[in-house]
Amino acid sequence: MNVLQLKKLTKKYGEFAAVDQLTLAVQEGEIFGLLGANGAGKSTTINMIASLIPITKGEIELLGKNIAKNGKFAKSNIGIVPQELAIYEDMTAYENVRFFAGLYGLRGPELKRRAEEALAFTGLSDKHRSYPRDFSGGMKRRLNIACAIAHRPKLIIMDEPTVGIDPHSRNYILNSVRKLNEMGSTIIYTSHYMEEVEELCTRIAILDHGKVIAEGTKAQLKSIITDQKEIRIDVRSATGLDTRKLSEIAGVRTVTVNDEQNSVSISTDAEVNILNRIIQGLMAADIEIRSVEESQPSLETVFLTLTGRSLRDS
Amino acid sequence: MNIWRIAVKELMMFRDVKMLVFMLATPVLLMLIMGSLLSSAFNGSVAVGDIRVLYSDHSEDGSIGADWELWLRQSGTENMVFEKFEGSDAEAMEGVRDGSYSGYAALNPSGFHYYGNSRSSIENSMVSGILSAFADRYKLSIAGAEPELESMVPGSYVKETRLKGSHMPAAMDYFAVAVTTMIILYSAATAGNLIDSERTRNTAIRLLASPISKGEIFVGKIVGTMVLNAGFIAMIMLISKYMYDANWGDNLPMVWLVLLSEIAFALSLGLGISYIVKGKASGIVIMTIIQLACFFGGSYYRIEDNGDFVSMLAPYSPLTWSNEALMDLIYGGETGAAITASALNLGVAAAMLLISAVMMRRREGL
Ligand SMILES: Nc1ncnc2c1ncn2[C@@H]1O[C@H](COP(=O)(O)OP(=O)(O)O)[C@@H](O)[C@H]1O
Ligand SMILES: [Mg+2]
Repeated sequence: MNVLQLKKLTKKYGEFAAVDQLTLAVQEGEIFGLLGANGAGKSTTINMIASLIPITKGEIELLGKNIAKNGKFAKSNIGIVPQELAIYEDMTAYENVRFFAGLYGLRGPELKRRAEEALAFTGLSDKHRSYPRDFSGGMKRRLNIACAIAHRPKLIIMDEPTVGIDPHSRNYILNSVRKLNEMGSTIIYTSHYMEEVEELCTRIAILDHGKVIAEGTKAQLKSIITDQKEIRIDVRSATGLDTRKLSEIAGVRTVTVNDEQNSVSISTDAEVNILNRIIQGLMAADIEIRSVEESQPSLETVFLTLTGRSLRDS
Repeated sequence: MNIWRIAVKELMMFRDVKMLVFMLATPVLLMLIMGSLLSSAFNGSVAVGDIRVLYSDHSEDGSIGADWELWLRQSGTENMVFEKFEGSDAEAMEGVRDGSYSGYAALNPSGFHYYGNSRSSIENSMVSGILSAFADRYKLSIAGAEPELESMVPGSYVKETRLKGSHMPAAMDYFAVAVTTMIILYSAATAGNLIDSERTRNTAIRLLASPISKGEIFVGKIVGTMVLNAGFIAMIMLISKYMYDANWGDNLPMVWLVLLSEIAFALSLGLGISYIVKGKASGIVIMTIIQLACFFGGSYYRIEDNGDFVSMLAPYSPLTWSNEALMDLIYGGETGAAITASALNLGVAAAMLLISAVMMRRREGL
C-alpha cells in the first residue's frame, strides 16, 4: 500500500520552481531516502507534505486521502523532525515531548506513558527533568526526534537529522530510525550524506533542481551505470596532487581527492584497464600508495554521473 | 482544550525565579525612587503657565465683583486671568472639569466657594491664597453692615472644593499606580515577540504541523500571556501595598478591570504592530510608542493640566486614560472614567487582535 503519493507536486517561488512536478510513491514499511545537494528541494517537498507551506500545483495523498481536503487527518498521521532544532530550551525534555504529543490529542496517563517511551527510545530517559539548554548538540537532536514520535505517527519525516553532530549521537539516530521502522512506521529520510542514505534506506530518490532524476533501490540505482568502474587508491597524503594529470589519461572519467581519508577515487570506462598508468601517474607525482581497490560504482558516482556535480562539493 | 494546552505552555516557559525577581525588582525600585526620592519635587517644580479662573458675582448689586476686580488690579496677579462668568454654577464647573479653566470661584456675600480642578494643584493653592486674602479685606469692608461675619474664623470664609476627588495622592501613592500601568504597557514589547519567538525557535514548524489550528495557537498564546501578566501585576500591587503602603482604594474589582483591560491593550498592541510592521523594525516602533506613551502619560512625573505641550498631548497617551481613571477611582470613588478607560483599552485591543488575526491567516506560517 502507498503511504504517500506525490503527484506532479510543484512549488514555485515567483518564477523559480523549488520543486518541479515531483511524482513519487512511498510504500508502507519503507525507509525512503530523499538524496540531494543543498538547495535541491528536499525541505520544500517535506514542508508541503507536512502542510507547512501551500502547494503551488499537484497533489499529495497520504494513506489514500488528499491532504488538501483532509488536513487534520494528514497532520495527525505525520511526525516531522525539522531540519533545524525545534524545541523549547526553557522546558524540560519531558515537558517538551509531553507538550507536543498533547497537541495530537493524547492526554492523561497515556500521554505520560507515550512521552516517557519516546524519551527512552531516544536514550534520554535519564535526562527527563533536564533542560535542553544544558544538552549537547547530539542530545538536542535526539530530543528533536522524541518530540516527533510520541504520538506514533504512521509516517515519520526526518529532514537531515544528523547535520552537525558527534558520531555517537549519529549512530544512535541511525539505529533509532531502523528501530522505528521495525516498529511499523514508514520513514522518509532526507540527507545530503551519501553514506547515510546508502546504509539506511531501502529505496532512494535522487533530487536535483526540484526534480527526481533517479529512483529505486541501491542496486537499481547503481545498475544505471554499468559502463563504469571505480578505483579507490589509499595514499599517505593526497595533498598537492594535480588531478588534471590523472584526468588526461585516456579512459579516466572523473578524479576525486578525499583529503580527510587520504584517498583518491577515480572512475574509468568499464572496458579499459588503465590501472598501471594511473599508478605511474601517482608515483610520478611523488604520492605514496598504500592500497588499491577496484569496485562497483558507489551512489556518489551515480550522483556525479547524473548531475555532473559531486554531492560533497555542492 | 488545545487553547488551554498552549496557554499552560506559555506559563510553564516562565519559571525562572531569578528572572521573576528581576522583573519584580524593576517596578518596585522605580516606585521607591520616584515615590520617595522624587517626592520633594513632586508637585513643586512644575512650571505654571497662564492660569485661567472663572468667577461669578452672586451679590445683588454686583458690589463683590467690583471690589474683586479692584483688588485684582491692586494686587497685580500676573499669569492669572480671571474671567467673569454669567452662566450657572454647573456650566462653570464643567469648564473646570474638562480642563479649560483651573478653577471657578463663586463669590457670594455669605461666603466664597472655590472649585479647583484636582489636577491643577499648584494653581489651586495660588488661587486660594488670593481668594483668602481678598476675603479678609472684604470682611473688613463689610464688617459694619454685616457684623455677624466677624465671628467667622479667618480663612474659613473661603470654602474650597476639589472637583475631582477629596484629597490628593501622595507621591508614593501616585507612582505605585503610574509605575504599575507603565510596566503593563511595557509588556507590549514582549507581546511583539510572542509569535516571533516561536518562529525563531522553529517550534512554529511543530505547532503548524500538528493538527491544531492557527487560531488555537494564536488565542492560546495570548490567553497564556494575559494570565502571566495578570499574576505579575497582582504581585506588584501586593508588594507596593505592603512595602510602601500604597493606596489602591476600596474598589479593587474596578481597579482590576482597568488594569486587566490595559494588559489586554498592551499585549494586543504589541502583537498587532508585530504583524503590521514586519521584522526588526516592529520592535523599534513598539518601543517608541511605549516611551512616548509613558512620557505623555505621567509615568515619570505627574502631568499638571497647565496647557503646556506635554499636558496638551497627555490625553492621547493610553496611559493617561488608565492613570486618570485609576486616580478618580481611588481618590474620588468615581467609576465613570474607569469604565470609559476600560472600554477604550478593550476596544483598541479588539481592533488590534482582529488586524493580527486577519494578517496571520493570509501569511504562510504563523
Ligand atoms: N521561502 C522561499 N523563498 C524563495 N526561495 C526559497 C524559499 N524556500 C526555499 N527556497 C529555494 O528553494 C530551493 C530548495 O530549497 P530547499 O527545499 O530548502 O533545499 P534542500 O532542503 O534540498 O537543501 C533553494 O534554491 C532555496 O533557495
Ligand atoms: Mg533542507
